[in-house]
Amino acid sequence: MKLEFLPWLILFLPLLSAATITLFTQKNRELSARLSIGAIVLCFALSILFIAANGWEPLKKETLVTWLEVGDLQLDFGLRLDPLSLLMVLVVTGVGGAIHIFSWGYMREDRAFSRYFACLSLFTFSMLGVVLANNFLLMFIFWELVGVSSYLLIGHWFERASAADAAKKAFITNRLGDFGFMLGILIVWALGGGLNFSLIEDQLRQNPALFGSMTTAAGLLIFCGAVGKSAQFPLHVWLPDAMEGPTPVSALIHAATMVAAGVYLLCRVFFIFNTPALHVIAWVGGATALMAALMAVQQDDIKRILAYSTLSQLGYMVMAVGVASPTPAMYHLTTHAFFKALLFLGAGSVIHALHHEQDIWKMGALSKKMPMTFATFVVGAAALCGVPGFSGFFSKDEIIAAALNPRHGSLGLFLLAAGVAMLTTFYMSRLVLVAFFGPARSDDADQAQESPKVMTLPLLALAVPSALAGFFGIAQLYGKQLGEAHSSFQVLAMAASLGAVVFGLALAWGLYWRAEKDPLPEKIGPLARMLRNRFYFDELYEATVIKLHDTIAAIAEWFDQWIVAGLMVRGAHGTTELFGRALRLAQTGNLQTYAFLFVLGVAVVLYLVLGK
Amino acid sequence: MNYSLTILEMAVIALGLGLLLLDLWTPAGQKRQLGYVAAAALGFVLLFSFSSLVDSGVTATAFNGMYVQDDLALFFKRFFLLTAILVLVMSVEFADCIPTGISEFYALILFALSGMMVAASTNDFSLLFVAVELITVTFYVLTSFQRSRLASLEAGVKYLILGALSSAFMVFGIALVFGTTGKLNFTELAGVAAQFSADKVFLLGLLLVLVGLGFKIAAFPFQIWAPDVYQGSPAPTTAFLAVGSKAAGFVLLLRVLFGAVPEVTAHWTRLLMAISAATILYGNLCAIPQRNLKRLLGYSSIANAGYMLLGVAALSRAGQSAVLFYLGGYLFTVLAAFTVICLVMRRIGGEDISALAGLNQRSPFLAVTMTLAMVSLAGIPPLAGFFGKFLLLKAAVEQGAPNHAYYWLVAVAIVGVVISLYYYFGVVRAIYWSEQPADLSPIQISTPIKVCLCLCVLGMFVLGLFPGVVVNVAANAVATLKF
Repeated sequence: MKLEFLPWLILFLPLLSAATITLFTQKNRELSARLSIGAIVLCFALSILFIAANGWEPLKKETLVTWLEVGDLQLDFGLRLDPLSLLMVLVVTGVGGAIHIFSWGYMREDRAFSRYFACLSLFTFSMLGVVLANNFLLMFIFWELVGVSSYLLIGHWFERASAADAAKKAFITNRLGDFGFMLGILIVWALGGGLNFSLIEDQLRQNPALFGSMTTAAGLLIFCGAVGKSAQFPLHVWLPDAMEGPTPVSALIHAATMVAAGVYLLCRVFFIFNTPALHVIAWVGGATALMAALMAVQQDDIKRILAYSTLSQLGYMVMAVGVASPTPAMYHLTTHAFFKALLFLGAGSVIHALHHEQDIWKMGALSKKMPMTFATFVVGAAALCGVPGFSGFFSKDEIIAAALNPRHGSLGLFLLAAGVAMLTTFYMSRLVLVAFFGPARSDDADQAQESPKVMTLPLLALAVPSALAGFFGIAQLYGKQLGEAHSSFQVLAMAASLGAVVFGLALAWGLYWRAEKDPLPEKIGPLARMLRNRFYFDELYEATVIKLHDTIAAIAEWFDQWIVAGLMVRGAHGTTELFGRALRLAQTGNLQTYAFLFVLGVAVVLYLVLGK
Repeated sequence: MNYSLTILEMAVIALGLGLLLLDLWTPAGQKRQLGYVAAAALGFVLLFSFSSLVDSGVTATAFNGMYVQDDLALFFKRFFLLTAILVLVMSVEFADCIPTGISEFYALILFALSGMMVAASTNDFSLLFVAVELITVTFYVLTSFQRSRLASLEAGVKYLILGALSSAFMVFGIALVFGTTGKLNFTELAGVAAQFSADKVFLLGLLLVLVGLGFKIAAFPFQIWAPDVYQGSPAPTTAFLAVGSKAAGFVLLLRVLFGAVPEVTAHWTRLLMAISAATILYGNLCAIPQRNLKRLLGYSSIANAGYMLLGVAALSRAGQSAVLFYLGGYLFTVLAAFTVICLVMRRIGGEDISALAGLNQRSPFLAVTMTLAMVSLAGIPPLAGFFGKFLLLKAAVEQGAPNHAYYWLVAVAIVGVVISLYYYFGVVRAIYWSEQPADLSPIQISTPIKVCLCLCVLGMFVLGLFPGVVVNVAANAVATLKF
C-alpha cells in the first residue's frame, strides 16, 4: 500500500489543530480559524491523494500499530481502509470543510471564536476516528469523544440556560444509548474472543452460531448505541433541542456527521445482526421516520423543521439497514449529508440576515432579496423531497424499493416509507413557500440582504453534489463492499415516490401559497396541537423517567453525602492526614536531630538483618 | 588499558574546563548564554553516544575491570546527558537569581554529570566511592549556590554534614568488604560472594554500603535530609538532585545488588520490600500537609524512590527494566514540573502553592505542562507515570505466587498512589480554581525553554502511549544483571 502514513496524518491533523488553538492561539482569532479550516481542508486533499494512489480498495485493508504489548496483553490501534470508510472520510472532511468555512463568516461576531474552532477541530478528529476505527474498543472511545465534543459545541453559548440544558440533554440521552452499546461490546468481547471487526466477521462466517442465544441481544444492544447517536425513537428527544447550538454546528453535527455515526455503525457491523434484530431495527427506523415527519409539519422554527426532517431521514436510513439493505442506507446517508448540510447552512444564512430570527412566520419574500441562498435552498429542498434527477431521488427510491423486498421488508414498511415521502414534500414545500414567498412579515425580513461570499460560496459548493450526487456512482462503490441493492420493485417505488412528491407539493401549495398564518390548526384542531407539541414526548419523559431519576438521585445523594463522603472519605482522609501531620513532627529542621535519626535508622536496619 | 571507552566522560569534563576558561573572555552581560553553549555541546555528546564508536554493542572494560561499558551504562549515560541538558537550559532562566558566578554553576553541573556518568560504568567499590563523592561534593556547592539566601546556605550545610555521615558509613562498609574478601571488583566479588554469605562482618560491610546508596536515593530511613535540601536549594539544583543524583544512586544500587553480590541479595527480599513500603508511605503521607511546592516535590521524590525500590525488590529482570523505564518517565515529568516552578517562582521569594493561582490565565502553556506533570506523577493514563507504575506493579505481582508478601507490597503501593492523588491534584486545583489570584501578568517564556518543555510533554506522552521501544531498550540494558 502506498502512502500508508496518510490515514494517520488525516486522523491526527484536526487533533493537532485543536490542541494548538487551545494551547497557543486562543487570543489570535484569525489564526485559530485559519488553523482549523486549514487542517480540515488539508485532510480532504490528503484523502483524495490517498484514494488516487491506492484506489477505493487498498491492498491492505487495515493499517495498525500495536498500541502496547506486555506479555500476552496486546492492544491494537488500527485504521480500517475500505470503500465504506474512505467515502465517509471524504464526506466528513468535504462537507465538514464547507461548514468550517461557512462558520468563519457566521461566527465572526462571536466572543469565543477560537474556542468554537478548537471544538470544531476536536469534533472532526473524533468523527474521523469513528469512521476509521478498526475495532469496537477504538470505535467506542471515539464514539464517546464525539459525544463530548458535540456537548461542547451544542453548549457553545452556555450563558443561555436553554443552550446549556440542551447540551446536557444531548449528552445524557446519548449516554443512555452508549450504555447499551458498551454492554453489546462486552458480549462480543466475551463470546467472540476479540474486538477487531474483521476478526469477528471472519469468525461469524465460519460459525454463525458464535454468540449462541445472545445473537439477538448483542445485535440489539449495539443498535442501542445507534439509537442514541442517530436519535431514533425513543431517544430522539435530544436532537430538536440541540438546535440551540450555532447553526453551522447543527449542519455539521445534526445533519452530516454525528447523527450519521449511528447508521454508519450499523453498516460497519452489519454482519452481527440476525433476522429478529433486523426486524426491530426496521420498525424502530420506520416509526421514527413517520413520527418525526408528522411533527415537522407543525413546527414554526426553521431550524426545528430541519431537525425533525433530519430525524425522519435518519429513520429512513435505519429502516433500510433493518430491511437488510445497507447499501441504500449508506447511499442515502451520503446524499443526505450533502443536501441537509446545505439546507442547514441556507437556514443559517437566512437567520444571519434576519438578525437571528428563526420563526418562518416572521420571514417571507426572501426569494428576491437573497437570490443565492434561495436558489441553493431550493436545490437542497428538491433533493430532500426526492424530485427526479436530484440526488435524494435516487437514494430514497432505493430505500422505498428495498422496503418491499420479500425477505425482510413488508407492505406495511413500504406504505410507511411512501407516506413519509409525501409528508416530507409537504413540510419542505410549506417551509419554502412561507419563508421565501408571500409578503415580508416583519421589518427584519423586509430589510434582509444577501449574506457575504464566505457564506454563499460553501452553499454553492454543497449545492453541486446535492443536485448531482445521483450520477457519481456512489451506490456502486458502497455496493462493492456491502452488496448491490437488489430489488425488482424499482418501478413501483419510483411511481410511489413520484406520486408522493406531486401530491405533497399540491397540498402545500393549496394551503400555504401567500398564506398569512398557518391554516392547519383550524382545520384539524387537536391533531395539529399534538403535532406541534411533538406528541408530548418531552412531557411524558418529564413525568416518568425524569421523576424516577430525580428520586433515585435524591437517595443516591443522601448516601453519597453521609455514608460515602462523611463516613468513608472524610474518615479515611482524616486518618491519613493525621498520620501525615504526625510524621512531619520528625522533620524538625534541626541538624542534630536529623543526624540522630539517620544513625538510628542505620542501627535499626543493621539489627533487623544481622541481629537474628 | 582502554582509555577510549571513557571518551564521553572526558568530553564532559573537557567541556566543563573549557567553560571555565571561556568565562574569562565572555563579557559579564553574556555569561548566562554560556548555559546554552554547554547544553548544545552536551547535545552533541548525546548524539555521539549513539555512534558505533561508543555504542559498539559489546561489553568492554577499562582500568583493569574497574570501569565497564555495557548497555546498562549507556542507558544511564544518555539519561544523565539528557537530564543535564534540560537542567542547563533551566539554569539559564534561573541566572537572574544568582548574582555572581553563573559560569561556575554551569561548570559544576557538568562536573556532577561526569560523576554520574562514571557511576553508570562503575564495576568496582573504589570507583563507586570516587563517583559518589564526585557527585556529592559538587552538589554541596550547587545546593548552597545562592550565597545571599539563608535557606540555600542551610540546605548546603545540612546536605554536607549528613552526606559526610553517610559517606563515612559507606567507606567503612567498603573497608569491611575488602577486609573480609580481599576483593573490590564487582565481577571478582560475584565469584566469591556466595562463600561469604553467612559472614556477618561481610554482610555488615555490604549493608553500610547500601546505607550510603540509600542516602543518595532518599530511601527510608535515610530520607530525612531530602525535604529540607530540596526546599532550600536553587530550583535547577533541586531538579538535578531529584533526577540525576537519584538515578545515579539507582544505577549503583543495581550494580552492587545484582552485579557484585546477587547471591546475598536473594536473601534480602524482605529487607528491600520493607524499605520500599516504608519509603512509599513516608513520602506520600508527609506530602499531604505541604504547602511549599519544592518541599512537596521533595516528599514526592521520596515516594517515587519507594516505587522504584519496589521494582528492585522484585528481584527479576522485569522489575529492573521497569525501574529503568520508570526513571525515563520520571525524568520528563519532574524536569517539566521544576522548570515550571522555576519560571513562575523566580520573581517571588517563596514557593507556596498559592503562587500558581491564575497560572492558566498567565500562561496556558505552563499551566497545561504543570497539570500534565502532576497527572503523570499521580500515575494516570495515558502518561508515562501510569505506564511506569503499571510495569513496576506488574513485576511485583508476577513474583507474588511464590511469596505472598509481594501482594502486600503492591497493596501498600496502591494505597500510596491513592494518597498521592490528593496532593498532586491540590496543585492542579491551585492552578485552575484558586480564588482571586493577585498577579495576572503574563509570563514570558524563552524559546529554548519552550522547546525543552515541549520535549518533556512529548516524552510523557510517547512513553505513556508507545512504551514499546523504551521497554525493549530497558530490558536489553538489564540483561547483564544476575538474579
